[in-house]
Amino acid sequence: MAIGLSIGFSALIALITGLTFDAMSDGLRAEFDPILTTLGGWIFGMVLVITLAVTSVTSEYSSRLVRTTFILNPNRNRVFAAKAIVIALLGVAISAIVIPGMFLISQPIYHFYGLQTASVTDHDAARYLIIAPLLEGLNHALIPFAFAWLLRSTASAITASIGFSVLPWMITPMVPLWVQENVLRYLPDNAKDCLLGQLGPGAPTYLGDTAAIVVMAVWIVGALTAAVFVLNRRDV
Amino acid sequence: MITATGWTKRYGGTVAVDDLTFQVKPGIITGFLGPNGAGKTTTMRLILGLDKATEGTVTVNEHAYRDKRAPMQEIGALIDPAAVHGGRSAYHHLLWQAQAGGLPRHRVDEVLELAGLADVAGKKVGGFSLGMQQRLGIASALLGDPPVLLFDEPVNGLDPEGIQWVRALVRRFASEGRTVLLSSHLMTEMEQTADHVLVIGRGRLVADLPMEEMTRQSAQSHVKVVSPRADELVSHLEARGALVSNGTPNELTVTGLDTSVIGAIAFAHGIPLNELSTHRASLEAAFMELTRDSVEYRAQRDLAA
Repeated sequence: MAIGLSIGFSALIALITGLTFDAMSDGLRAEFDPILTTLGGWIFGMVLVITLAVTSVTSEYSSRLVRTTFILNPNRNRVFAAKAIVIALLGVAISAIVIPGMFLISQPIYHFYGLQTASVTDHDAARYLIIAPLLEGLNHALIPFAFAWLLRSTASAITASIGFSVLPWMITPMVPLWVQENVLRYLPDNAKDCLLGQLGPGAPTYLGDTAAIVVMAVWIVGALTAAVFVLNRRDV
Repeated sequence: MITATGWTKRYGGTVAVDDLTFQVKPGIITGFLGPNGAGKTTTMRLILGLDKATEGTVTVNEHAYRDKRAPMQEIGALIDPAAVHGGRSAYHHLLWQAQAGGLPRHRVDEVLELAGLADVAGKKVGGFSLGMQQRLGIASALLGDPPVLLFDEPVNGLDPEGIQWVRALVRRFASEGRTVLLSSHLMTEMEQTADHVLVIGRGRLVADLPMEEMTRQSAQSHVKVVSPRADELVSHLEARGALVSNGTPNELTVTGLDTSVIGAIAFAHGIPLNELSTHRASLEAAFMELTRDSVEYRAQRDLAA
């Protein structure tokens, strides 16, 4: 359902864009990008990936089956690693269905309204369709997965994960420039947006490709390390 | 064999288990007794590596549980039988565990048969009664056919047939040379099943001795002596260190000497005996006596009266 909602919402955004394009300001029309605009419905896919990542851990705590898991497999690092691999693959797989789906459903609508379109054979579109599922999938699967081990509560971990992804984006226009440059710039979602080309060099939170990859990697590895450290120290 | 050495578990300022040292030997059934909150479940969880000891070590067959590569083939544990995925069938509940432990699929059918659940193998475990959940938990513990069994309250919710089944099962396992540790609140059940008892109170080991010794050592175990010259016998028995109290006329209650010694004393002094019998305390009486000072949660006297 979330996959359908994501693709449907992107189609809706494409439809509204097509219907209102002529009424838009010159600046907005100049900013129109037939690739990045299709990501509008991703919020539903993102919530799906976060929810699956979190509940893969917290459902075991709420049913107390986590004890059975660790009685059967007392090596906690091994259980953690196995779950992390499955969740990362699941996150990338869902993203790999949703993101191309959103792209493919939007292009005929843009074409219908005479707007610029993109094809999967275009270099930029092909790059986007490969990188976006990877980055969105890993980012929204592994960091919430780590939060779930740390918080052990479905509601807390989902709230923290969605807040962590969406809140910085929401508050960016409201916070002082130095916060944008020195804090928000180094959050994983910002780094991911830079890599996907959603933020250009003129943006105060912009990071170059190498720096963005390092920031994302540090966040993902750091969150997983903290989670596995806590898991090994806590009683189950 | 399970060996605990200097084992302590603290939660902040609260000591749940305090310097426990004991061995659970193979070939016998060891009962694990203690009042509510004494630390029995904590101890079982510590053995299984679910909780981490603050101090001390515990090994199962010479290795810590968390270091075991194939734990299902070494230890079978019944800790929380209600912890199930309610939407799964009994068969699939056992199958995922077998697959996680690298066990062949036929073990699932075997333990379902052994636990008397073969007819309900396809039913969702969410609809199981407490007794059926208990049988399923025991089936899980037996999947790996392990030499060490750890059962926390195994007869909870079982009907009399189920209780007999568990009793026969653990006896069979002990007779095969396996290590069996049982915890239970049901003293009569434990008295009939266990060969050896470990008693903990407020996290400390209060007793570690054979069942017979436990009931014999109780102050409520005594020898009843009936004699027409009972008064005369009292001084002779007390001279040998016995504690003697008078019941009805001609009847004595003696602790500290067994029947053979009392009989010999009476014979030596030419005192006739009409009755000489041993009255052994129940496990419950012996347990209450041992844990009198260790009860964590006690009903108020006026409410209990």
